[in-house]
Amino acid sequence: MLVELTVNGESRSANVPPETTLLKMLREHLGLTGAKLGCDVGDCGTCTVIVDGVSVNSCLMLAGRADGCDVTTIEGLATADDLHPLQQKFEEHGALQCGFCGPGMLISAKNLLDNNPDPSVFEVRDALAGNLCRCTGYTKIIEAVIEAGEMMSQEPANV
Amino acid sequence: MATRIKDVQTNVEDLVKAREARAPSRQPLAVPIDQPVTFPLELPESEARLRTPAVGQRATRPDGRLHGLGQTQYIDDITFPHMLHAKILRSEYAHARIVSIDTSEAEKMPGVIATLTGAEVPENSFGPTYQDQPILAYPIARHRGDGVAAVAATTEQFALDALEKIKVEYEPLPAVYDPLEALEEDSPKVHGDTNIYTSKVIKRGDVEAGLAASDHVFERRFSTQMVEHVPLEPHATIASWDGNGRVSIWSSLGRFTLGREDLARTLQMPQSRIRLIGTVVGGNFGGKNEITNEPIVALLSKKSRRPVKAIYSRGDEFVSSTIRHPFIMDYTTGVDSEGRILARKIRLVLDGGAYCSWTGTTIGKGSILAPGPYNIENVLVEAYAVYTNKTTTGAMRGFGAPQVCFAYESQMDDIADALGIDPLEIRLRNGFSENSLSPTGQSLQSVALKESLTQAADRFRWKEWQA
Repeated sequence: MLVELTVNGESRSANVPPETTLLKMLREHLGLTGAKLGCDVGDCGTCTVIVDGVSVNSCLMLAGRADGCDVTTIEGLATADDLHPLQQKFEEHGALQCGFCGPGMLISAKNLLDNNPDPSVFEVRDALAGNLCRCTGYTKIIEAVIEAGEMMSQEPANV
Repeated sequence: MATRIKDVQTNVEDLVKAREARAPSRQPLAVPIDQPVTFPLELPESEARLRTPAVGQRATRPDGRLHGLGQTQYIDDITFPHMLHAKILRSEYAHARIVSIDTSEAEKMPGVIATLTGAEVPENSFGPTYQDQPILAYPIARHRGDGVAAVAATTEQFALDALEKIKVEYEPLPAVYDPLEALEEDSPKVHGDTNIYTSKVIKRGDVEAGLAASDHVFERRFSTQMVEHVPLEPHATIASWDGNGRVSIWSSLGRFTLGREDLARTLQMPQSRIRLIGTVVGGNFGGKNEITNEPIVALLSKKSRRPVKAIYSRGDEFVSSTIRHPFIMDYTTGVDSEGRILARKIRLVLDGGAYCSWTGTTIGKGSILAPGPYNIENVLVEAYAVYTNKTTTGAMRGFGAPQVCFAYESQMDDIADALGIDPLEIRLRNGFSENSLSPTGQSLQSVALKESLTQAADRFRWKEWQA
């Protein structure tokens, strides 16, 4: 089946078997390997992408359901010149160790900051509840998200 | 729950304060006395830290940027032209003799290019201590996670569909699941004549005399459960067997040189013909310390003459990759009226699962650390690792240290509680200090146990919590 969608502002399409998940379409048909397959059952959040403003586990969403949707993946965060504030702060804080959870974690954080630029620690924890990290213990991730939020409020041009 | 929310509210202020304090100069943050503080606590730098400027400095990871950009290439992000996908069929029984495996129907399935069974593996055994583990079980499957056959197909879905067409005839054998039952003489045997495959004894002084001289003797059994490492990246391999008879293997393996040796053994070819490529690993925690599916993927590539990729499903990860040893720990500890430990007798039974893996290291560390960081004149540790028909236990963060720590610290609390001694105080009375002898007679240097305990207790206001 033909699936047409907008990925990171670009029109993309692919002919995929009907059982193809959005994650598989992104990774194998569109070559966007940023989102990862961690558990395949929607527990770990490594496959998180934003679909029409909502962060979703792309391993649980059929590609066909995303037809016509606007999708943001980790590849859409940085510009040619600049890192996204989240990426900058994650790097500064050493918030990623093995890095496998990173793309999903950053996308969930981005979706939070898009809707709530000044989140409390509680709100950050809540927004990242669907993203598991086995290395860091989350502390640095939470600090990085809070600081990125502050940075984005101060420099709206960067967002 | 109420406490948690309160903690979180405090944390917001703390975070702000911590940030203000950190920039521009790393000023210490004064700990407010009037409210409970949890995390993150910024405290005055210790003198030792100031003497070594590198310690305490923020460092960024050299690979941090690509991680954040989503550009780090893990194995599943790598593809090759004409690459196949492999899936492994697992045993239907915890213990069974495989009478026959028929892959002919699977081979007729769409997209299937090659299949593999244990009989086709040149040397079907590996392991870091004992080579007791098969690549694909044949003729005996010893736990449900044992692979019995594998398929390489043009898509993962074709490979999964083909697994259902493989016919395996089993003759179920009696199985043993409880490590204490496995110790019994008449229990079903997993390998050979006994299930005990490794043991260790540590003796110091005279434990019976020490217990006889004690004012109080505490006895208790502690046990811990299986733990899976759950790396976010499952075990992953790509193999490409070229026309010159050399194989290139991209692997998320941790112990590389050992892995190459195991590959040379199982594939029965010199190491010089095996090119092992280490990729970025998406979490190891000890679970990627030995080969798993590498030889299977290599042989499927040899048969199909195409690159083959195999990614474990999360289910494979739980049943087939190694896990942490569950321990059953019997502690008998004699103390005087002041709570000083005079003797400690310990029996550890390690549930080893179906194969040895890293049990040798685990039983060693577990036994040495079992008496705890305490000065005890009379010690006896007896440890046994036993096979059971369950998931193989292996290396995991600490190699047995966390299990025994749970037991000895729980018993320290029992003793403190029974004798009405402050739990901190009883640890300070018994704890190691400079030049203390470990249970194996090693003189210990740079021991800061009591200082660490005292400082930690001050910082989280132990006394106030006790009040």
